[in-house]
Amino acid sequence: MTELATMDFHPQPQAGEARPWAFPAPERGSLDNGLTVLRCHRPGQQVVAVEVLLDAPLEAEPAGLDGVATIMARAFSEGTDKHSAEEFAAELERCGATLDAHADHPGVRLSLEVPASRLPKALGLLADALRAPAFADSEVERLVRNRLDEIPHELANPSRRAAKELSKELFPASSRMSRPRQGTEETVAGIDSAAVRAFHEKHVRPATATAVVVGDLTGVDLDQLLGDTLGAWTGSSAEPRPVPPVVADDTGRVVIVDRPGAVQTQLLIGRVGPDRHDRVWPAQVLGTYCLGGTLTSRLDRVLREEKGYTYGVRSFGQVLRSAPDGTGAAMLAISGSVDTPNTGPALDDLWKVLRTLAAEGLTDAERDVAVQNLVGVAPLKYETAAAVAGTLADQVEQHLPDHYQADLYRQLAATGTVEATAAVVNAFPVDRLVTVLVGDASQIKAPVEALGIGEVTVVSAE
Amino acid sequence: MPMGHTATAQAGSGGLTATEHRLANGLRVVLSEDHLTPVAAVCLWYDVGSRHEVKGRTGLAHLFEHLMFQGSAQVKGNGHFELVQGAGGSLNGTTSFERTNYFETMPAHQLELALWLEADRMGSLLTALDEESMENQRDVVKNERRQRYDNVPYGTAFEKLTALAYPEGHPYHHTPIGSMADLDAATLEDARQFFRTYYAPNNAVLSVVGDIDPEQTLAWIEKYFGSIPSHDGKPVPRDGSLPDVIGEQLREVVEEEVPARALMAAYRLPEDGTRACDAVDVALTVLGGGESSRLYNRLVRRDRTAVAAGFGLLRLAGAPSLGWLDVKTSGDVEVPVIEAAIDEELARFAEQGPTAEEMERAQAQLEREWLDRLGTVAGRADELCRYAVLFGDPQLALTAVRRVLEVTPQEVQEVAKSRLRPDNRAVLVYEPVAGEADETGEAAAAGTDENEEAAK
Repeated sequence: MTELATMDFHPQPQAGEARPWAFPAPERGSLDNGLTVLRCHRPGQQVVAVEVLLDAPLEAEPAGLDGVATIMARAFSEGTDKHSAEEFAAELERCGATLDAHADHPGVRLSLEVPASRLPKALGLLADALRAPAFADSEVERLVRNRLDEIPHELANPSRRAAKELSKELFPASSRMSRPRQGTEETVAGIDSAAVRAFHEKHVRPATATAVVVGDLTGVDLDQLLGDTLGAWTGSSAEPRPVPPVVADDTGRVVIVDRPGAVQTQLLIGRVGPDRHDRVWPAQVLGTYCLGGTLTSRLDRVLREEKGYTYGVRSFGQVLRSAPDGTGAAMLAISGSVDTPNTGPALDDLWKVLRTLAAEGLTDAERDVAVQNLVGVAPLKYETAAAVAGTLADQVEQHLPDHYQADLYRQLAATGTVEATAAVVNAFPVDRLVTVLVGDASQIKAPVEALGIGEVTVVSAE
Repeated sequence: MPMGHTATAQAGSGGLTATEHRLANGLRVVLSEDHLTPVAAVCLWYDVGSRHEVKGRTGLAHLFEHLMFQGSAQVKGNGHFELVQGAGGSLNGTTSFERTNYFETMPAHQLELALWLEADRMGSLLTALDEESMENQRDVVKNERRQRYDNVPYGTAFEKLTALAYPEGHPYHHTPIGSMADLDAATLEDARQFFRTYYAPNNAVLSVVGDIDPEQTLAWIEKYFGSIPSHDGKPVPRDGSLPDVIGEQLREVVEEEVPARALMAAYRLPEDGTRACDAVDVALTVLGGGESSRLYNRLVRRDRTAVAAGFGLLRLAGAPSLGWLDVKTSGDVEVPVIEAAIDEELARFAEQGPTAEEMERAQAQLEREWLDRLGTVAGRADELCRYAVLFGDPQLALTAVRRVLEVTPQEVQEVAKSRLRPDNRAVLVYEPVAGEADETGEAAAAGTDENEEAAK
């Protein structure tokens, strides 16, 4: 039974004339100390974003000290030659600023956000942190203990737990990528201020660092300001580190991380594939969006909107690490969670979606909508200074030219259905996917085995 | 009293303006121009949230929000998502205690499409709503509940605290996600009745912000929404008022499979829209916002008894607001140790009030949060709707920062003294248990957006 509406209906309106927008081109330069600087004026963005990239990758951590890059990153905001840890935090907050720092495979990143009027002060604090971090014994000791306390929380979180297991499965034990980015209980416990100082001494210097400054810079004499702040940071010159190749074993198999009583199963299905240096990237982005970019993509059309097995399943490509010579890699994965009783049927449907895609390909209509979305959302996506700064910093970190993102939009628009199909089918081959399931093994093991998507092993969640 | 330090000449409004209009059917419209980027945000707030739900039907407002994306007279199936995304837009809807909002951010030249889509479902949802959508979205929402609450450590903490802080029968006693039993019990007829009762132009505010021509925009709004009939059958919502203080310390100990002990608490605080609410926002920031706050310095830096410690404020207009304390303990530290330190800090704060530096820091942090919020067209559109729906005046969104900056140390101390007391809180203590065979053992990460449910 339906009921009649009483409003006046009008035909669907047509779009107006598109107004031009392009991904902003930064201005590139360097300071006397060798620090590379990218700047970008964004009128109206009163909160300025500053990203600093340090060439201190995780694989540079000394053996047995996984996590030292993370502790160093956190320790940057725990005091300098001018301020104690408490004072430093207070001074930053007095500017209305936030400063985040984290360590990942390509390097360490510091992200500052602050109202433009207080940029000079906040940039001074950031420069102090890089130039003369205190790395006091007691503060490092506290950060280590704090990190050790965090680990059980991460292991108890199904999606974090799944990510940890997938890395362990995909990469050889000798690879830093096989192990948790922020270290394990064993390695973190061995970190002290001497280790942090040694890592800093060896890997942090302006000559191998880049700063990206984005926001409304009206009335800001940025050259003067940078010279007075980050310009005072000194360090020896150094060659960039060579990037080790990424190897991964994507033999199709299933690992269940047992979580008795879990009401849902967390899925993480992945492998390793090309990064942005590969010509296939735009087609891979397009195809991956069609597969699982949104709730109207193929996976959710079945798993969510037809079957109701999940709140949402997404497919994505995320760069792990890139190299100037193009030998880098990205994680290609499908993730989401499904209710425990429907785990087998959901995976069965997921594989059916992949097989159908390989057999029949994408449609032109799907491709068109995906291009319109991926290209069309750019002005929305890059409204804030932080979003622009983040992408500019990613480009530097991945050894891409500053005009990469602007080019990517043109390439996406020029990518056809056949190329997008080939890229996504190559990205997610049904027999080369490592499936991690965090869930109740007693409930899900048998139904998953019956699917024949690879050998099934069960590991403990602890 | 002069305003505190400010980071911008216009104290956060950035010189923004908004105009107000009303259609004959009662739809209120707020427009705000900003031509810096070729984008436009459409935001529609319906004055209905989980507080309007009745016993046995918790979660209905949110489940209904999902149904709003299942098609209407001229929009088939998932067409709403498909058309917006195909036009280069982004969209979603969320449900909280006090309202349900729907929003699209579009490239400016696609604005008309978003207006057409919102009008179509406001006027004709029931011509498309069927059992199939209802059954499907019921399953989706149950999986949303499992994913966000039942399958993560401490995931049901907010639900438990809310149930403690607002008494049985109070409209805010339950959270928007609702219970599994009630989600199972909801019928298609319940959904239809919900639409007929609450989804009317005179129960909504529409805001459009960004690179727009106001005259043209208003003409489109009149064209698409103007013929939707108004409806006056909305029942008066249940009264949410409560005494200023709880009068005793409420307490629940949860024994679950969680990674560490935790102490959480909900304080009963002044309603949103009052000066005292702005004052308590500053107080909670001084005490538990960021890494230079009193609780962070005491528990994480000095005593080293906690992994994380912070305060959040859930502003509510139709009931007392809620100040949410969340502390996860370090190592083997026992909860009473943490609790004693917190009580000591809160008592000291009530006794001494904030220092001048603490006021400066807290107000600078709150100002930046507002700049972030108003820095996007979507954020601005949402705030304009919020002030229009909850307080009858969208212009208040543009002066909100100023009000926070006008708060004095005396007001902060006063509200801390009267409200941040042990006899004005509900306490939730987590004690971990070993993992075997705990049938009901569902767990928890206390996020900050737990008062909202989203469609995707």
